[in-house]
Amino acid sequence: MARMKFLCDAERCIECNGCVTACKNENEVPWGVNRRRVVTINDGVIGAEKSMSVACMHCSDAPCMAVCPVDCFYRTEDGVVLHDKDLCIGCGYCFYACPFGAPQFPQAGAFGMRGKMDKCTFCAGGPEADRSESEFKKYGRNRLAEGKLPACAEMCSTKALLGGDGDVIADIYRERVTRRGKGAEVWGWGTAYGPGKPGAQPPAAGGKS
Amino acid sequence: MLTRTHLAGWCFALMALVAPSAGFAQAAPGSAQQQAERAATQPGNNAPVWREVRSGQANYTTAQGREAGVLVQSSGDTWRQIRNGPITVYGGWLVVLVALAIAAFYLVRGPIKTHDRPTGNLIYRFSVVERWAHWTLAISFCLLAVTGLTILFGKHVLLPVIGYTLFAWLTLLGKNVHNFVGPIFMASIVVFFLIFVKDNWPSKGDLTWIASAGGLFTGKHVPSGRFNAGEKSWFWMGVVFLGIVSSVSGLVLLFPNFEQLRLTMQQAHVVHSVSGILFMTLSLGHIYVGTIGIEGSYQAMRTGYVDESWAKEHHELWYEDAKKQGANRPAAGGGAVPAGAAQARRDE
Repeated sequence: MARMKFLCDAERCIECNGCVTACKNENEVPWGVNRRRVVTINDGVIGAEKSMSVACMHCSDAPCMAVCPVDCFYRTEDGVVLHDKDLCIGCGYCFYACPFGAPQFPQAGAFGMRGKMDKCTFCAGGPEADRSESEFKKYGRNRLAEGKLPACAEMCSTKALLGGDGDVIADIYRERVTRRGKGAEVWGWGTAYGPGKPGAQPPAAGGKS
Repeated sequence: MLTRTHLAGWCFALMALVAPSAGFAQAAPGSAQQQAERAATQPGNNAPVWREVRSGQANYTTAQGREAGVLVQSSGDTWRQIRNGPITVYGGWLVVLVALAIAAFYLVRGPIKTHDRPTGNLIYRFSVVERWAHWTLAISFCLLAVTGLTILFGKHVLLPVIGYTLFAWLTLLGKNVHNFVGPIFMASIVVFFLIFVKDNWPSKGDLTWIASAGGLFTGKHVPSGRFNAGEKSWFWMGVVFLGIVSSVSGLVLLFPNFEQLRLTMQQAHVVHSVSGILFMTLSLGHIYVGTIGIEGSYQAMRTGYVDESWAKEHHELWYEDAKKQGANRPAAGGGAVPAGAAQARRDE
């Protein structure tokens, strides 16, 4: 089975928030819930600005799963981390533990009382029957069951956000890095041994991405 | 085609020229400047950006919500290691071992009875208000303890036995009970403190009492006032100190709507669970001596009355005071007065 992964190419992301919109539209997520967001580092600084789209990263050793008091998380055969909203008690522990800020809580009452946790499902639904009405209502579209990949990655206009089989995605990214022709710097040669001769430019081989 | 990085490099070179006079260097934050430099010397090397990401600083995002601009927060995993590690493992075993130690003590020592036969003369020890304050605190404490234990240990203890559906339902109920009983508990701590503080100030004889552990092992009575040093320790370390620590940390977790950060809640959770476990562990001792451990002590808090020989053997100084003041007065608020009480009044 494939091991599903997301990868966001910081050299390509243009902060259009198309992934965010695609996700909201595809999954009809509750108001106030952001399953995916785009964060811009060094915003507005020329030459230093990089954007990243982030959502649940479907960790192999998921902190949310480790701390959940009712053990409502599970991992599918594709390596996607999903949860059962019927079991979720809305304690917020997954939100404390997650490095990426993926778990979201719609407010269910006064004083910030948390409802059932909602997060990115890699467009893989939940424990309900595939493509059922109740699955859609609770978790959104099950695109994997339809033979499709997550809407965010599919919609990405610059193909910065890749989602799918980890091996395939790694191949795509590896090829990009190679074509950029700056592998030594990217992989740390320059960091370790300093820049090359003054004025030396990276190979200007064609197909720059 | 001129790439973005080339362009950036030129822009940076231009900036570097202008900067000393225009003071641009101060305008760009450190990591952004480093990245701009890096992009010029080593195009494609984003190490300064990733350092910025790993620092956990908030960056720009259009997404609404607290800390939405933080790409990666590392403290969550630290919290996970602490919570799933020492707190669950050592905390869990602490509660179990203390319970076992108390059970072993009971098996060896049995209930502690008064040396003299009960006289039948009852002395009024706890007023109706005092008993209400105690039981509000005690019952809310027990509810919080049971639901808190379920949230921390239920996954390992209860879930394998009763299954996912029932366990999740019980824990959801438990979470709501915990959230709503918490404030009752806090209020009752305040009331309890105001009522009982006057008899819990340290006094002469407390050190002697502590030195011999209240005669727990020797069976020899150490004279004490209305409350002995053990009860005073439980009052100050348990009800007051752990009560305040649990309450404050609990409030941080109970109301997540005050823009507190995840780090604050992680820290509050660690404080809350540690203080909760210590509170429960100490309470086991108090509950033991207040019920099966010492005969007559449960009746004192249940009915308000103690037998004269119990008073003499457990709180001799208080007993003498009470006798002087004629404290075997009837219950003020018409509370449950046991049969012997009338007898006590007639004897006076």
